[in-house]
Amino acid sequence: MSSTHMNVADFRSGLRTWLDRNDLSPGPDHSLDGQVAQLARVRRALFDAGWMRYGWPPDVQGLGGPAVLRAVLGEEVAERGLAEPGIYSMVEVLVPTLISYAPPALARTMVPRLLSGREQWCQGFSEPGSGSDLASLTTRAVPREGGTSHSSGAESGGDWVITGQKVWTSLAQYAARCVLLTRTGPGHGGITAFFVDMDTPGITVRPLRTMHGVDEFAEVFLDDVVVPADRMLGRPGDGWQLAMDLLPHERSTCFWHRIAHLFTRLDRLLDETGDPDDDALGAAYLALHTARARSHATQRRLAEGAVLGPETSVDKVLLATAEQRLFDTARDLLPGVLELTDSPWREEYLYSRAATIYGGTAEIQRNIIARRLLGLGKD
Amino acid sequence: MDQAERELLAETLRKTMTAASGRALDSALADLGWAELLAELPDVAVPLTFRLLGETGAHAPLLNDVLLRAAGRPPGGTTALPYTGGAWVRWERDDRESTALDGDLPLRILPTGDPLTDPALAAGRRALGWWLLGTGRAMLALARTHVLDRTQFGRPLSSFQAVRHRLAETLVDLEGAEATLLAAEDGLGSLLAKAAAGRAALTAARHCQQVLGGIGFTAEHGLHRHVRRTLVLDGLLGSARELTREVGALLRESGTAPRLIQL
Ligand SMILES: Cc1cc2nc3c(=O)[nH]c(=O)nc-3n(C[C@H](O)[C@H](O)[C@H](O)COP(=O)(O)OP(=O)(O)OC[C@H]3O[C@@H](n4cnc5c(N)ncnc54)[C@H](O)[C@@H]3O)c2cc1C
Repeated sequence: MSSTHMNVADFRSGLRTWLDRNDLSPGPDHSLDGQVAQLARVRRALFDAGWMRYGWPPDVQGLGGPAVLRAVLGEEVAERGLAEPGIYSMVEVLVPTLISYAPPALARTMVPRLLSGREQWCQGFSEPGSGSDLASLTTRAVPREGGTSHSSGAESGGDWVITGQKVWTSLAQYAARCVLLTRTGPGHGGITAFFVDMDTPGITVRPLRTMHGVDEFAEVFLDDVVVPADRMLGRPGDGWQLAMDLLPHERSTCFWHRIAHLFTRLDRLLDETGDPDDDALGAAYLALHTARARSHATQRRLAEGAVLGPETSVDKVLLATAEQRLFDTARDLLPGVLELTDSPWREEYLYSRAATIYGGTAEIQRNIIARRLLGLGKD
Repeated sequence: MDQAERELLAETLRKTMTAASGRALDSALADLGWAELLAELPDVAVPLTFRLLGETGAHAPLLNDVLLRAAGRPPGGTTALPYTGGAWVRWERDDRESTALDGDLPLRILPTGDPLTDPALAAGRRALGWWLLGTGRAMLALARTHVLDRTQFGRPLSSFQAVRHRLAETLVDLEGAEATLLAAEDGLGSLLAKAAAGRAALTAARHCQQVLGGIGFTAEHGLHRHVRRTLVLDGLLGSARELTREVGALLRESGTAPRLIQL
């Protein structure tokens, strides 16, 4: 297979044949440890066979080709239930960030470790005092006085010292590295991103219990954590732009993966329910189909070279709404199942409650739509 | 047809629809070459023309032509149209009095009719979907202007988050519906698109009516025409509610949720 000739149809059929021959189905361990181990196994196998490398540039050991190949891969992974889609899709925001902002040598070394499943990474943005209002974050990075390398200070390439706290950081307890937002000055222009090794002295990770029982996120405490200047992503003050730049990635490929996953859950519901509530089933399907149609249009725009912007807030609202409707419908049409039995529906129903919170809450999306798409001015 | 030609056509159609409606618009469009356009470029003609009917608030009996074409018959006549609840109507080609909620539309109730073929149903649903979408966008435009212009409590209405979120919700539904229309190819896709568009236009009607307050309830304001049109068009060839139920039944029978749109 030559990447220059790789189109979606060839990629998909080749991938399907390969997946049919190489069984990557998860084992019986559905704990978070099990899910993370399974994710690493799937990534490694797909990387070694090349599939995981398509759609990424050669600089990071990719095999090139359009980004849509990654959407196809994630869809197949979701349709076959090989990996939990939320954590599977994390590469879609982390890798583009490294490619765009890391020194090229760092991206070249690090990205293959993530893609091949040898490492997990996390994204440390939110803080106890800064969720929706991310730009108010206070985790501080200051140039180290009398640093080890050269003289002190950022401009001269010395170390930085980071102190603060992150919260709800998904997979922090498994992560080898973190894309971390810090404050180096006032305002939006005073936010700076670093790529931090999680085993650096001064970092403490405390797992948090989640409502759905899969404790996927953690608190991260940073206490005088020394980070070399060459681990800065971009330049001082680029952090806000970095955070904005990763939204389009999250809202194209990742969304397609998630929608594929939700279709499998609707199939499961159709299989398990005996309740002939066609209104509810039809409405759940219509909402999912709508999210899929919108996401498809977004991927196409991306493929045509469009720069994605605030219009992806529409995709986000459609997806979150469809996800919650689907699981609400499951609860209605499988009465008592998630309340009384330890069925997978319970965990997934509960997790769907977060769909309007993570990645920017539903209200924040509507604020963006009102301001940027409808031109209603400031609120 | 390239982008520039398309824009020119849209401009011409919009002007024509602003100047005339009903029978007069029907003949103006005939003079412009609607029949040829529909025959040669249906994928351009139908979305553009029907969306603009919605946006301008004009009407013309063009749905007949879309259905006749799908049945391999020449345009210009009429055909019986299934209406929600098992009723049948004819969309006349003259400006007669009508008992419809949208009294501008020359709809006549029929005792019965011949079922439409699947391709005709699909084509008609897509056309109506575009019309409903345009009507929804017209309502959103009216509401947007109003909330920017009107002041209460010393602030423009557009500064109140409750108002902003209603309009944001409206846009989300309209954009979602448009995506389903753009993706609609087969019968099921067209059914879903009509359902999505009907739902979106109904959402628009509800939210826009609310933010327009008292003025939106007067007959002088344009909103009520679009609200009436939405309610009537939604019932043609299956309402959003009916179509949603139909697709639910289909899913239950087949046991799987079709993935209609592929990368
Ligand atoms: C499962 C899960 C995984 C997560 N993973 C990560 C991760 O890996 N990394 C990371 O950095 N973060 C992560 N987060 C955090 C997530 O990004 C935040 O929870 C989110 O941004 C909301 O912030 P908050 O929780 O502080 O809520 P708040 O911002 O306090 O909001 C609370 C409520 O107030 C509303 N609200 C706030 N501001 C406004 C406003 N201006 N207008 C109207 N309503 C408003 C919100 O919509 C919400 O309903 C995760 C969260 C969850 C649930």
